[in-house]
Amino acid sequence: MMKDNRMDLHTEPFVLNMGPSHPATHGTVRFLLKMDGERILHCETEIGYLHRGFEKHCENGTWTQVFPYTDRLNYNSAIQNNVAYALAAEKLLGITGKMPERCTAIRTIMCELARLADHYTGLGASMLELGALTAFLYFVEARELVWDLIESVCGARLTSNYVRIGGLSTDLPEGFAAHTKQVFATNRVFWTEFDKLLTKNRIFLDRMRDTGALSREDSIAFGFTGPLLRAAGVEYDVRKAHPYLMYDQVDFDVPVGFAGDNFDRYLVRMEEINQSIRIVEQVLAKLPSGPINVDDPAVRNPSKEAVKSRMESMIFHFKNTIEGIQIPAGEVYVPTEGSNGEVGFYLVSVGGGKPWKCRVRPPCFALTQAVGEMVKGGFLSDIIPTFDMVNLIGGECDR
Amino acid sequence: MAGIYRKVNRPVTMTLWERLYVMEVVRGVLITARHFFRNLVGVTIAYVTGKPSERRIMTIYYPEELPPVPEAYRGRPVLVRGADGKEKCVACGLCEVACPPKCISIVGAMREDGTRYPDTYTLNGAVCIFCGLCEEACPEEAIVMSYDYQNLCEYDRSLMRYDKEALLIPEEKLAKRLEYIRRRMYNKCNY
Amino acid sequence: MFDYTYLPEPSLVPYLIEMMAKIMFIFTMNVGVFAPVLGWVERKQSALMQDRIGANRADVFGFTLFGLVHIATDALKLLVKEDFIPRGADRTLHYLAPFIALVPALIAFAVIPFGGQYDLWGHKANMVIADLDVGILYVFAVASLATYGSVIAGWASNNNWSLLGGIRVGAQMLSYEVAMGLTLVGVFMVYGSLRLTDIGVAQENFFHWGIFLQPVGFILFITCALAENKRTPFDVPEAESELVAGYFTEYSGLKFAMFWMAEFLEMVTISAVLVALFFGGWQIPFVTHAGLAGFFGFLGPNGAQVATMLVHVGVFWMKVLVWIFILMLIRWSLPRFRYDQLMNLGWKIILPLALANILVTGAIMLLVK
Repeated sequence: MMKDNRMDLHTEPFVLNMGPSHPATHGTVRFLLKMDGERILHCETEIGYLHRGFEKHCENGTWTQVFPYTDRLNYNSAIQNNVAYALAAEKLLGITGKMPERCTAIRTIMCELARLADHYTGLGASMLELGALTAFLYFVEARELVWDLIESVCGARLTSNYVRIGGLSTDLPEGFAAHTKQVFATNRVFWTEFDKLLTKNRIFLDRMRDTGALSREDSIAFGFTGPLLRAAGVEYDVRKAHPYLMYDQVDFDVPVGFAGDNFDRYLVRMEEINQSIRIVEQVLAKLPSGPINVDDPAVRNPSKEAVKSRMESMIFHFKNTIEGIQIPAGEVYVPTEGSNGEVGFYLVSVGGGKPWKCRVRPPCFALTQAVGEMVKGGFLSDIIPTFDMVNLIGGECDR
Repeated sequence: MAGIYRKVNRPVTMTLWERLYVMEVVRGVLITARHFFRNLVGVTIAYVTGKPSERRIMTIYYPEELPPVPEAYRGRPVLVRGADGKEKCVACGLCEVACPPKCISIVGAMREDGTRYPDTYTLNGAVCIFCGLCEEACPEEAIVMSYDYQNLCEYDRSLMRYDKEALLIPEEKLAKRLEYIRRRMYNKCNY
Repeated sequence: MFDYTYLPEPSLVPYLIEMMAKIMFIFTMNVGVFAPVLGWVERKQSALMQDRIGANRADVFGFTLFGLVHIATDALKLLVKEDFIPRGADRTLHYLAPFIALVPALIAFAVIPFGGQYDLWGHKANMVIADLDVGILYVFAVASLATYGSVIAGWASNNNWSLLGGIRVGAQMLSYEVAMGLTLVGVFMVYGSLRLTDIGVAQENFFHWGIFLQPVGFILFITCALAENKRTPFDVPEAESELVAGYFTEYSGLKFAMFWMAEFLEMVTISAVLVALFFGGWQIPFVTHAGLAGFFGFLGPNGAQVATMLVHVGVFWMKVLVWIFILMLIRWSLPRFRYDQLMNLGWKIILPLALANILVTGAIMLLVK
């Protein structure tokens, strides 16, 4: 009887616009939701609200002038983008084997510190969305301390502009190892408190368990990489599969989930924080001394003593700045493991000092396209943990 | 390359301890309550004795307290005024070319004794991205990133186009930054 | 002929003075002290929990008073804000909703005793505004009226997000009212009366405090009461990150202030009910009424009664403050429920547990007798 009545009523799905400015869509993304009460029938994702023309910008300047722009891609872990671009350019130049050891060690340390900052931000913001405001602020405090470390090295917390083709801009400050030790001691306490507040809390578990799940096959089909792929059970980490920098010389585990739901993604990220701290401590323990730049004036600006005393150095300094580093023609793609997934730069050079094409593979582009699939059939409230665990960074997805 | 892929520590179904809401709720509330009482004691002691207790509160009370700035900090770019009162800049134009958003524009001129100097030097503070590439490019240590980060905003964009006079700072005031870049950035041991 | 025993006694004037004094006192405490100060407490307490300072910049001639001046600035700001009604919204309902939400919160306090019975100059003063026979049922009845305010607000805003909030609020509050009533049946059985004054008097013996006699009922009641109050972890209708502000998205100015005040006042009411039922009301543990009056004997008979009254009232409000602190701690520590899990909790977990509690309590009472 009730069913007959129901079929006679004119009903239509409830359209809800989770627009670009909504507290939960961090990174300006628009979800157009067709809902049946609280259940989502269809979710259409719209990105591009933060498109700034990164690739076109890069074609206007020299190879070195791209670095500040790469900072603004994944603005949570800026140094990782710097490093990814530098690795690609160095491969195109052919000097990957000649990089000094201290340089690769410091790059490894800074990459892992950036990964820490990104995971703290991602997990913290997720907790903010879920309502645990205190947990968010604990991780924000932890992130502040990591940013202090990064600031002491390169002069800015977020827009680091630290790596150069052929080396780094400056060396580590004095007392860096002691400062790091202090920061990690405090951060471990924050991690424990965050864990105790949430990981076994049934309210939290009910929100995250079995929500937004995506199977192994679907994850691979969508092109997932990074923590979300590992949460689905696929054992793939670029640092282990195609090692770069110093990752083959340090001991670290890679956490892998098995259910592919939000809780696994959360656990994977939490464990990655611990492993990053482990990597940094190992590298700091055996930090090699020596130069930080490659000794090739055509690639990396000579030292100022040389510039002021020798004519060739002055010429190279001027040519590198005005015309840019001359990278031979060719194309290259070097994958690295960013905090969201595989970040890679596809560079095309036609032999001059300016890039011909500088394309970045944004990890969260592949992740965002699957959000509609992940939330279909779920509740409106499930979009929140799912989207938070995707950790879409607008700067990266929209470039 | 063999790697260690480790399964996360996750029970397949919820354990009984987790199922009972109350225990974990109490544990969580105890953690935040501990933070509360520790901070309360810290704040009270600080208020009563007048000096800050061991820093439990993370907040820096800006603008009465300024955050400590590391020596590598990249603040506002400024021109260095040498000991003789003239700018050290020789209008070579390297900073103009090196700047990614092209915020510097220089018109050079020659003095009677043959040295070059910038007739006009305009740095658009609203466009500058504080990247420090100009400081790296300059062969004369004439433009450095000072440690200024306060009072950089204006209500009118045209007020942010700094000319040479607004940018010149005497060398003594920038001694710390100049020493840093000599020690850390341009030093021979970097290569 | 007619039985006028329900009318007040012939000496009307002291009775009226007493009634007016009590109403003024409760109204001042609630609206004047608690509602604004709770705003301050929430900010400062959450700040200290999160290792930060909280709002303390507003000052009066240089005195910041630890941020208390912010209460005045907030009130002033909300008063002078533009009061808009969104296009297409139902004007009457949009106007009415905050009042419907606020008034029940204000009047719910009428049956809660904040002190015992004192003999002041020959006149028996009972520290409760209305000593009704039905006691706590009055609070439940009035609290259910508050549901209307929120649902109407959600509907009248012509906004899909508010509508979602309104739907959620209606379902949540209905479910938890059912459960709340049943959780307290155990308390009534144990004390044998619905009147809160009787329960308060019965808790003179420390080991007859409600928390010892009905621990399970206490936990269940606090959950249901938090859900009624729409505080985290049950703030699904107002879920700040999902629904922007839920059913009061389209409210600003004084109407918004009324919703906020209603929420804070409900929190005070819940704490007061908790204290009155489970934590001894105005009683100090191991100190009887007569004992305290005897302690103040040096002030003369009336003076002793007045002193006892002041002590008891002070104790009651202190306990209420402690409970407000604990509720705030819970609010800032926990994530929030998903909507269907919340309904699951209310109907499938709390309701059966409450019924089981009643059965067990009854069985134990039979055995003890």
